[in-house]
Amino acid sequence: MKKSTKALIGIVLTAALIVSFALVYNRFRPRAGEGTKSYTLEVVDDAGAQNAYSGKTDSEYLSGIMDELVAEGDFTYDGSESEYGLFIMAVNGVTADYDTDGAYWSIMVNGEYGQYGADSQPVSDGDDFELVYEKAQ
Amino acid sequence: MNLSMKKHSKHKSSENDAYEIADSRVGDTNYRPGRTSGGWSIIDIAELGMMTALLEAGKHALDFLPNVELVTLLLIIFTLHFGLRTIAATFAFTAIETAFFGFQTWVIMYLYMWPALVLIVWLNRRKTSVWFFSILSGLYGLFFGAFCSIPYLFIGGINMAFTWWVAGIPYDIIHCIANFTLCLALFRPLNHAMNYILKITSR
Repeated sequence: MKKSTKALIGIVLTAALIVSFALVYNRFRPRAGEGTKSYTLEVVDDAGAQNAYSGKTDSEYLSGIMDELVAEGDFTYDGSESEYGLFIMAVNGVTADYDTDGAYWSIMVNGEYGQYGADSQPVSDGDDFELVYEKAQ
Repeated sequence: MNLSMKKHSKHKSSENDAYEIADSRVGDTNYRPGRTSGGWSIIDIAELGMMTALLEAGKHALDFLPNVELVTLLLIIFTLHFGLRTIAATFAFTAIETAFFGFQTWVIMYLYMWPALVLIVWLNRRKTSVWFFSILSGLYGLFFGAFCSIPYLFIGGINMAFTWWVAGIPYDIIHCIANFTLCLALFRPLNHAMNYILKITSR
């Protein structure tokens, strides 16, 4: 067999190996994890309308879930840092202004009022969160 | 000066891709220029130092390009001219790299990967085709990650080794293409330079 033929066979086999390696990489390459903790998040606005979200997350705190939902595009929120942590001012475009009409966004965790701000509310597997527009009595 | 080495060549060939080695004693592991008794001669040690220096220069000259390196090509050239003594240069190279970057898992990989390359080339030292060594160089780059994953078999089992290898496949492919291209482009001039140097130093 001519050397040039051998070289050509060698190059073809090397190219085939490269393609095989690429296929292995495409099949087994590391992908971002889906998250391990399931959750639901329900938003109840000033008109009582509800929007529900659910998914899996690795976020440690509720604000992490909110940021993930914002990144997905079907959820917005606005807030400010306060001495008590993240103070939620608006969700999905609905602003709660306590100074004007005593309204605020409350955080419910598994049916009870949360004890923490969104950025310090821990997330456990199976948690049900609610962001509810409420007015002070 | 006539740089032609054909009159010294033992690898004369009518094929266009054949290269020539000026020193007909290539591959003779007992050959030690300047050796007066067993062990390493002063020339051996000087050559070891120069090989190591060139390996370091070749490594760091292309550090800015991930997985593009001249070490593989230089080791092929060194092995074809100096035989198995090149293994000592791989250990010296690894020692200097360790001094630079500290002892980590890759040190263990270097300790068997580079000597393995020298051994493979030495076993194929009679091959006369530049294409052969270019393809060998490319394959060595392609399988570099796979063989480097061996320590992870013992650290975290087959899953860890497999995951580590797969994550690095894109870099292995770059390594393969870069090695092949560099060898194809630079083998002849480097081999020619080596022949010339060995001739003027009266080896």
